[in-house]
Amino acid sequence: MFEDDETLQMYIEESLDHLADIESDLLAIEEGGENIDVDLVNNVFRAAHSIKGGAGFMGLTTIKELAHYLENVLGLIRNLELVPDSAKISILLKGFDQLETLLKEIETSNDVDISEHLNALENITMASLPEEKQSTVSELVDIQLDDGRIFPQVSLYDINRYVEEGKNIFLVEYDLINDIHRKEKNPIEVLSSLQKTGTIIDSRIDFESVGTLEGQPINRIPFQVLFASIIEYDMAETLFDINKQYVHAINDDMLSTSASQAAGEPAPMPVQENTIPSTPEPSPAQPAPPVVEAPQPAAQTVEPVVEQPAPDAVQQPAAAAAVQTQRVEPAAAQADSQVSMSAKPQSSLRVHVNLLDTLMNLAGELVLSRNQLLQGINSSNSKATELSSQRIDMITSELQEAIMRTRMQPIANILNKFTRVVRDLSQDLGKLIDLVIEGKDVELDKTILESINDPLTHLIRNSVDHGIETPMEREQMGKDPTGRIILKAFHDAGQVNIVISDDGRGLNPNKIADAAISKGLVTDQQVAEMSDKQRMELIFLPGFSTAAQVTDVSGRGVGMDVVSTNIESLGGIIELDSTPGKGTDIQIKLPLTLAIIPSQITSVGNERYAVPQVNLNELLRIPAAQVKDKIEKVGDADVVRLRGELLPLLNLAEVLGIEKTFIDETDNTERPDRRKNLADRRSRKHDITESGEILEGSATDHANRSDSDRRYRAASALNIAVVSAGAFKYGLVVDKLHDSEEIVVKPVGRHLKKCTAYAGATIMGDGKVALILDISNLAQMAELSTVNEASQKAKALEEERDAAGDKVALLTFKNSESEHFAAPLNLVERIERIQTSTIEEIGGKKVVQYRGGALPLFELSQVADFQPLPDKDQQEVIVFKVKDRELGLMVTPPVDALEVMLEVDASTLKQTAISGSMIINEHTTLLVDIFELVKTLNPSWFSAEAEVAAEMAETGEKIILFAEDSAFFRNQVKSFMQEDGFKVIEAEDGQIAWELLKERVDEIDIVVTDLEMPNMDGFEFTQKIKADPTYSHLSVIALTSLASEAHIEKGKKVGIDEYQIKLDREKLMNVIRKALNLA
Amino acid sequence: MAQERKETALEGNEFSTFYVGGALCGINILNIQEINKHFEITKVPQSSEYIKGILNLRGRIVTIIDLGKKLGLAPVEKSKDNRNIIVNSEDEHIGLLVDSIADVVIADQADIEPAPSNIGGVKGKYFQGVLKTDKELIGILNIDEVLKE
Repeated sequence: MFEDDETLQMYIEESLDHLADIESDLLAIEEGGENIDVDLVNNVFRAAHSIKGGAGFMGLTTIKELAHYLENVLGLIRNLELVPDSAKISILLKGFDQLETLLKEIETSNDVDISEHLNALENITMASLPEEKQSTVSELVDIQLDDGRIFPQVSLYDINRYVEEGKNIFLVEYDLINDIHRKEKNPIEVLSSLQKTGTIIDSRIDFESVGTLEGQPINRIPFQVLFASIIEYDMAETLFDINKQYVHAINDDMLSTSASQAAGEPAPMPVQENTIPSTPEPSPAQPAPPVVEAPQPAAQTVEPVVEQPAPDAVQQPAAAAAVQTQRVEPAAAQADSQVSMSAKPQSSLRVHVNLLDTLMNLAGELVLSRNQLLQGINSSNSKATELSSQRIDMITSELQEAIMRTRMQPIANILNKFTRVVRDLSQDLGKLIDLVIEGKDVELDKTILESINDPLTHLIRNSVDHGIETPMEREQMGKDPTGRIILKAFHDAGQVNIVISDDGRGLNPNKIADAAISKGLVTDQQVAEMSDKQRMELIFLPGFSTAAQVTDVSGRGVGMDVVSTNIESLGGIIELDSTPGKGTDIQIKLPLTLAIIPSQITSVGNERYAVPQVNLNELLRIPAAQVKDKIEKVGDADVVRLRGELLPLLNLAEVLGIEKTFIDETDNTERPDRRKNLADRRSRKHDITESGEILEGSATDHANRSDSDRRYRAASALNIAVVSAGAFKYGLVVDKLHDSEEIVVKPVGRHLKKCTAYAGATIMGDGKVALILDISNLAQMAELSTVNEASQKAKALEEERDAAGDKVALLTFKNSESEHFAAPLNLVERIERIQTSTIEEIGGKKVVQYRGGALPLFELSQVADFQPLPDKDQQEVIVFKVKDRELGLMVTPPVDALEVMLEVDASTLKQTAISGSMIINEHTTLLVDIFELVKTLNPSWFSAEAEVAAEMAETGEKIILFAEDSAFFRNQVKSFMQEDGFKVIEAEDGQIAWELLKERVDEIDIVVTDLEMPNMDGFEFTQKIKADPTYSHLSVIALTSLASEAHIEKGKKVGIDEYQIKLDREKLMNVIRKALNLA
Repeated sequence: MAQERKETALEGNEFSTFYVGGALCGINILNIQEINKHFEITKVPQSSEYIKGILNLRGRIVTIIDLGKKLGLAPVEKSKDNRNIIVNSEDEHIGLLVDSIADVVIADQADIEPAPSNIGGVKGKYFQGVLKTDKELIGILNIDEVLKE
């Protein structure tokens, strides 16, 4: 075998490159059937041909032979002598697969048995040739040159074919030393340039004429190329760029039946001659005569009827070849000083020359800028330094981008092969499937590309095997019998998206949920709270499979966890969407590269840690004053309430066991931090009860400590990075949050590989190293599942607490500096700040132009006994929406939203438009009744309600049974029901309401109930009503302070007709009127 | 490769010697990439006890090992004489933090004796041999063994 590492490597790469597109071309040829696209066939033909050409020169006999046979079949297709059908294409595909395998294992390729492929290909060729030509296919001839040398073993069929095409055949003898090596060319380059003007039939190195070490010193190593071209002999010299004496025109007289073949009669079956005589012969390691004889006896001993070559027949030439190689080595060594070890598979990459030029330019610029920077620094010219640092900044970014681009590969490289996967699979399964591939140009980092291959294959196989139904099933469902799988890649938001969608049977969320429960992966309860999407995503759980029977193709679910883990390990996300009966969409989002990632820099103690941006959801800062209120302790775990959800907290310092230190300002030394609980601000002591709840710390203790607090104030606040990875979502508590930066991922040494908390390390701007956190592993290290359980418990606790009182969302604001007010948040449309000068006063009313209309403005002093607003340039306006009309209430900031337990004193400070008072943040705050306020200002807006009330007064009052435990709400709601003309029967809890209902069922027209009440809650009450036919006709409207999804779900189950938020008077009354068919 | 290096090392070569935990040790100078005093070391929580941390060495992340702790002696005490000996091992640079650097010693193969099972409280497996000079004994470190995880 040829021993030049570099050339061999180049050949392998080039050949694999040729093979890359063949599959899709062949499939296109198959699709075309009788309408042969000659260009397409030519593509494939050329590929096979180039591979063959190089292989001859390299001494890769098996590869050469296989490529040759493939070429023959393709030649027939090209000349329209053969119609490519599915079976033939399959054989070709398999042949090319084998070729690829051989190329990848080039060292052993000559020993591989490929007779099966050769047989199949030969049969195709034979079958489509006229009788008289058939024999030529396997016939080999030697070419006898004038000086007596021979070029052995050329396929007569080939020569005849080219002669028939009107081509001239030449034997060109290059000299490896003078024509190629000295001219700094490369044999492969010579071959490919020849191919532009004609066809290479065969090539070899004539080692026989090199002679032996004992003989004359060598000055020539002939490299012979048998070449077919339309060029005339006279022109050939210029074309080949060598002396005319080395270009021989070949004519029929020079052909003689191959010597070695003459020994054993032309075999009826091709197997023998393929496997045996040609194996050692064209090898560049052409042996001395005694050795070349060796294979012949072997050939003769083979039975002429063999279908598979006898094993020893193959072995012997192989052994012989080994001997030859050894023998020739000295000569080869002299011929080429670069002889080295066997070819190692090295990964290499093709880069566009333009890109390399860009890189060169940038490198040049970088050097220039460096010189400028040095000059600037030497001359202490800060301006110049600054300028050049800017330039370097710019160039670096560009350089980074350009270098990244060199690693980028089109995704087509892997997507294309799925055409074949789908074709083969659907044939096996008897399904009809169209695969549509979009976005082949999308580029991805080489490493990522290589790692998504397996997950994608798995997903595609799943779609074919389980997604798409059989043609019969599809027809029964009224679908096109041909299924469709769309594989789409596109860029979005700095990420690469890959979507695999099929129009198959889709996923059944309930079936998946049931299966997950029966396998014990989740509990009933957990499933009950899941949306359909979440249920479908259960298939990503380890140990899950819904397939009733697992096929050998793929078991949907088997390995889906592996798929998702693989994708997540690349920093990607996988999402699932499916409509039963309609199809499934699987979306994968991947980062463009792994080498550089945007990250949030955080720090604990003196060390910085990077959190990859893909894992980061948001940043949260809890001011020192609120730490105690917001952080709760559930079991051993800290949790924080974030928009109604409980988020488990992980203290990075604790998880990693970092000894927390702080700089003591008094003497500038590091001291260990003794703070234990997150909620412990500055050693302030909390009494912790057994249930884990934190009781109020003593205020005096705190006051004493604060004087001697030696730490930075800011450090007392909690900085939390809210992160998520897979199923985990948690808050990572760090000391400080810094900027977001693009960091370069560097591998850490082998001693740190077992520290799974880190995904790597990076070098910061100041040259120090920062560790990159692995968010998912951190969660596992901290056994976050227990934290999750704890948060479940906390939720339960929470609900209990909610039941005990009513929590409402309020907007607080001020009128004059000392007057605090609050209004229900749900009535608020938005908050505006307007210039006081834009306020117009028309007919005693204030308005401001807003979006083409006039927004009426008013202030509290207009309706009740409050101080007028102070004069200011700007005015904050809270815009409410009542009766579909907007109006603005002018207030004094700060305007703030908060959730409080409603403990309203409805009597002490009651007046017009004020429903009561309560203490919020240590201020007596008045609760504004917006509805009453508007009614006082604009009674005409409420004429419709007045009409209904009047009508009811005539036709008989409607009676509402109203159950509510809070006296404030009871009075509040009752009063506006009565105002609208209804009669109200009150009950303090569900139990009392139930008793009242039983007594007075004939009078009552509708039931309005609070949900959370002592004795009997709203759910139970409703259930009772709906279960009893005597009462079930009544509409039940539930009133709640905060409606959660789970609540609404639960309510629907027991038969609640409508949900309304407390304090939204307008909506509630509308719903009541609608339920009673009034207005 | 490592084996080869070791052998040539023992055939009479230069050894860089240094003190760690009171013991005088040596490393064949051919194993040493450089000796520096960068101490901008980033601690790596959760790593083995003998890992001092990681360091940026011209763009490469280098693990620094407290040689004192690794050999089972006292940890290297912070002083102005501390040095990192950067050695090359399995295509990776690894730093050995030592108390202080001593002389470069040239020795013949004949001067190196097999290591006893214990040298000054350090297990014999960490040494390839012992070099006797006029004044002292120098334990020649077996780098591969010392750098085993």
